[in-house]
Amino acid sequence: MSAGPRLGIDIGGTFTDFVLVEEGSVLAAKVLTTPHAPEEAVFRGIAALEAERPGFAAEAAGVIHATTLVTNAILTRRGARTGLIATAGFRDVIEMRREVRYDLFDMFIRYPAPLVPRELRLGVRERVLADGSVLEPLQEGDVREAARRFREANVDAVAVCLLHAYANPAHERRIAEILREELPDAELSLSHEVHPEPKEYERSSTTVVDAYVKRLTATYLDRLQHGLRQRGYARPLFMMLSNGGTATADIAKRFPVQIVESGPAAGVEAAIYFGGRLGLSSLLAFDMGGTTAKLCLVEEGRAARTRHFEVDRVHRFKAGSGMPVAVPVYDLLEIGAGGGSIARVDDLGLIRVGPESAGSDPAPACYGLGGVAPTVTDADLALGYLNPDFFLGGDMKLDRARAEAAIAARVAEPAGLDTARAAAGIHAIVNETMAAAGRVYVADKGKSPAALALVVTGGAGPVHAVGLARRLGCRRVVVPPLAGVMSSLGLLAAPIAFERSRPVNRRLAGLDVAAVAQELEALAAEAVALLPPDATPEVRRSADLRYHGQDHALEIPIGGALDATLPEQLAAGFVAAYEALYGKVDDDNPIEIAALRVEARQPQPPPALPAPRAGKPGAPVTTRPAWQHDAARFEETPVYRRETLALHQEIVGPAIVEERESTTVIGPGDILRVHDSGALIIDLATPDREG
Amino acid sequence: MRLDAVSVQVLWNRLVAIVDEAAQGLIRTAYTPSVKEYHDFCCAVFDARADMLAHSTVTTAGFLGIVPEVMRNFLKVFPAETLQPGDVIITNDPWAASGHLIDISVASPIFHRDKLVGFTLCIVHHLDMGGRMSTLESKDMYEEGLKIPIMKLYEAGKLNEAIFAFIRANIRVPEKVLGDLRAQLVANNVCTRGLTAMLAETGLEDLGELGAEITARSERSLRAKIAKLPKGTWRSETLLPPLPVTGEQILIKVALTIADDQVTIDFAGTSGEVRAAVNCTLNMTRSYSAYPIKLALDPDVPNNDGCMRAITILAPEGTAVNSRPPASTWGRTMISHLLPEVIYGALEQVLPEAVLGGNGGCPANEMYLHGRWRDGRSFLAISQHSGGFGGSVRQDGWPTLCFPNNTANIPMEVTEREAPIVYRRKEFVTDSAGPGQFRGGLGQEVEFEVLNADLAGGYVESSVRLNGRSEGGSFPIGGRAGGGAGRGGGLWVNGQPAEHGIYRRLHAGDRLRFTLGGGGGYGDPFARDPAAVLADVREGKVSVAAALRDYGVVVTGGALDLAATRRARGG
Repeated sequence: MSAGPRLGIDIGGTFTDFVLVEEGSVLAAKVLTTPHAPEEAVFRGIAALEAERPGFAAEAAGVIHATTLVTNAILTRRGARTGLIATAGFRDVIEMRREVRYDLFDMFIRYPAPLVPRELRLGVRERVLADGSVLEPLQEGDVREAARRFREANVDAVAVCLLHAYANPAHERRIAEILREELPDAELSLSHEVHPEPKEYERSSTTVVDAYVKRLTATYLDRLQHGLRQRGYARPLFMMLSNGGTATADIAKRFPVQIVESGPAAGVEAAIYFGGRLGLSSLLAFDMGGTTAKLCLVEEGRAARTRHFEVDRVHRFKAGSGMPVAVPVYDLLEIGAGGGSIARVDDLGLIRVGPESAGSDPAPACYGLGGVAPTVTDADLALGYLNPDFFLGGDMKLDRARAEAAIAARVAEPAGLDTARAAAGIHAIVNETMAAAGRVYVADKGKSPAALALVVTGGAGPVHAVGLARRLGCRRVVVPPLAGVMSSLGLLAAPIAFERSRPVNRRLAGLDVAAVAQELEALAAEAVALLPPDATPEVRRSADLRYHGQDHALEIPIGGALDATLPEQLAAGFVAAYEALYGKVDDDNPIEIAALRVEARQPQPPPALPAPRAGKPGAPVTTRPAWQHDAARFEETPVYRRETLALHQEIVGPAIVEERESTTVIGPGDILRVHDSGALIIDLATPDREG
Repeated sequence: MRLDAVSVQVLWNRLVAIVDEAAQGLIRTAYTPSVKEYHDFCCAVFDARADMLAHSTVTTAGFLGIVPEVMRNFLKVFPAETLQPGDVIITNDPWAASGHLIDISVASPIFHRDKLVGFTLCIVHHLDMGGRMSTLESKDMYEEGLKIPIMKLYEAGKLNEAIFAFIRANIRVPEKVLGDLRAQLVANNVCTRGLTAMLAETGLEDLGELGAEITARSERSLRAKIAKLPKGTWRSETLLPPLPVTGEQILIKVALTIADDQVTIDFAGTSGEVRAAVNCTLNMTRSYSAYPIKLALDPDVPNNDGCMRAITILAPEGTAVNSRPPASTWGRTMISHLLPEVIYGALEQVLPEAVLGGNGGCPANEMYLHGRWRDGRSFLAISQHSGGFGGSVRQDGWPTLCFPNNTANIPMEVTEREAPIVYRRKEFVTDSAGPGQFRGGLGQEVEFEVLNADLAGGYVESSVRLNGRSEGGSFPIGGRAGGGAGRGGGLWVNGQPAEHGIYRRLHAGDRLRFTLGGGGGYGDPFARDPAAVLADVREGKVSVAAALRDYGVVVTGGALDLAATRRARGG
């Protein structure tokens, strides 16, 4: 992307975060999210930044955006009234699912309700075979009849998923033409475009989700683009995709299912970027905002990815309990725990926190916006961790009395505790909720938390990171500069990258290397063409290899020369990777190339983050009583301002470090050091004390 | 590392994660849809005592009682102290292992710092083991395929090629089956690596203390639940409809005894072995007897050896639920899948909230297609479709959901790439669900047609096994607690009723259609919320006529007639 300021915008459930990066400077902003019209918060934030950096919008080289809009629309069933056209005889595929139980031992097993009820699932006569040949032509009258019934039922969106449409999309295309005549206002999603791969249930589910959120996504992005143009920004709006890639907003409008995990991906990108700056080989990205917390394992600069993503899971940790969305996403853990998570007392007299969130409306009680339910942020305020006069640098005053009143009324009294102990309970429980989920997630990846540094982003992250790390068994916490808005920075740090791939089924023995070279070149040209015209891309080539007869393939980089040695290079790379992953099994089946891949990436200039000043260590600006979990009482705790800390300064906890967008809390004996990069690196005192 | 309540829990989760990773390794390196999609397998990890500590989350109930026994049987032939790193033990003996020849068990010892610390086992239902395959006609094991006695496939890392050679020479699709067998080795490799990494990280020397904790806690947990139940003996029996081919009828009798903190399930009085290929081995009977008890009493404890200790299974030798070699066993699920239902008949008398309405697809459907292309290559595809799940005290049964086994359907788009057929229909059957306050789930209708393809002999060999629960209701899919039976199914070839469980040759244009029943209902159908009945009518799941007949709910012009409903319900 050409020179000029670049803006990252990340809309979360509670706050919308902004980072504006320009040669040598970084500006940040944080405003409350406006769920009824998310673009309003965006324009408010831009206005705030314009006040500090007039004219930036008109000069900007790029705006990159992430949002949780799509997931939220599915969770709250606010999508379009959606119809489904299937091959006649097969309309129940999305409700039959895979006919298997995701939990063998739950006799009361549950599944999410399908997004399209049975009366809006209609069959049309046609049939394509696995090889793409047409067994039975499309009966166009059936399509017009379906359109008539959709019209009567006020359907706004239609998903079309025919058997084997990935092998021959002609019938789906013809249906689209007819529907555009018959239902000109309806949104359409065609399975061969959304997810052109076999397996009818997964493809149908993905296509239905795409149709369901299409109108909502397009309308929102149109309003956003229009507003940006009015503010002088003339270049394309970029969106973060669920796999950390970026694409223009127009692609997101066409395939909204691609941005289903856009928000969480931004936080991961931030951690990857910062992990790279600090040379961390493996880390756990931890993002905690107002509504949810996320954890994601990053190794060697790459986050785990999965194609088995599901939305609307009945059980968060049980694969198979949601609706499959077969797009590549970061394999991260999402937990209903954030600053806005609501605390209550259950029937057994125990304190529960979340997953319900007060969001930005009514918001935590201490925001004074009408919220009366106590939240994690209210507890953090009551415990003295947050400064009521320095939240968002003082732009937003917090009301400690309201926070304490809410905790007293809804938690302390019903649980028979004093307010401080109730607040401490809320803080500890939300940490344990995250740790319990995190332990399973990390174990599931075969990792030990002790070997992972917790890299923290999100407004509530630094307040809870040390407590979480202690419970989880991580020994080190890294709080990057601007952690509170770091995921927006992740949007800017992530390279703009496009991948193009082509399925091929070719044995390595007797491979036509010249043909492969030609195909790679064509793919590279396609991928580079998607980058901005002034890009100077890095191109990465690879091949997916497997034993003939298998489905799953391993991606092997093509580094060497594209000459007669290529089959040997690939075979050697594959056998080594296979054995490293799976051990030695003496397979003698022929090796084949399943797909060729090319990724073109345009690295982004590293954002110039505020460097810590050299010189004498910064002194505490004040002290205030803050709750110490071990002592179970308030103790006078030194409070620092982050911008006054000096390079390599060391602080032994307990201490509080305040900055505009977040607050870092460390416990007794924890040692905080200011790293060259501006990050705070915290080494935990003892691994098994709780906090 | 010191083991306390928290660390036991963390390491226990870790063991489950390790076997789940092994299962992923299996799926990723497998060659056939029966592993990749159908998921008829189990990966498990054991301590050095050969107590099973965890098995993969993705598995089917049939392996629960089998897995612990296979490992013990392996060690009877190859004692633990004689094993060395790189050993791999194999068998498909139905009695030593998992009940029919088509399942192969493969296990390895796990060593850590030169000490035997445990075992890893992977069992897979293969595509082909020679023999007559999916037919109830086989009269003994020898007709059913190749038997691999308990042998070493690898000895100290060296492959015994003779075993591969014998298998290759006896089956129709050797590349695929041997590919899946190698995927089982992958699963065991992944499990071994995961376990040794866990031991290295935690500093544990072995699994001795952890294994003892896990199994003891699990045993205590189930015993504590049993201790709270009323004591006594409850009986139930089911007479199966005449079996295909032989016409034999099997009576399954069960006596369920709850005494102190132990449950005993006794099959005394059950019919003897039969000629039809449906005989169960004791291991298989164990699986499906323990399963409904665990489901009802202690579902939250991840399954392991300890979970079986409070359950005693008694089955007289020589009965259809404890058959002797060389009985034919291919279709043993025809009996074993019914055991939970028979046990529910007894359990309902003491714990009515712990039982489910009958499953419309139980015993499980099995669909085989094989033949040869004109160029000599063989094809072999299997598939399974499920009936409706039973209603329960809490909710309606789900449509088309597998029980009591737990295998997924194979996508039609995958099967159509494996065999020369085209599906014509796969859809819910209206009014198939058993009525109830919580109705059963809907069953389905499946139809396929043979394509005009380049086939040797011009035909496909096809076998579809159903469950003998006809539409007429001769063997009903029972409701519970006052709920009604689900509607049964049937098989038709080119429109004519046909016998299930045997092979027939189908030629281009032939159509085979079958229906799988709806689940049994739970509770009085007249107590069902009329709004729920209306929703079913709108979705075409229940007809207007059935709404009135079964539920006393009057739907007119797409709306509820509440006054008429009150009259129809007699209030």
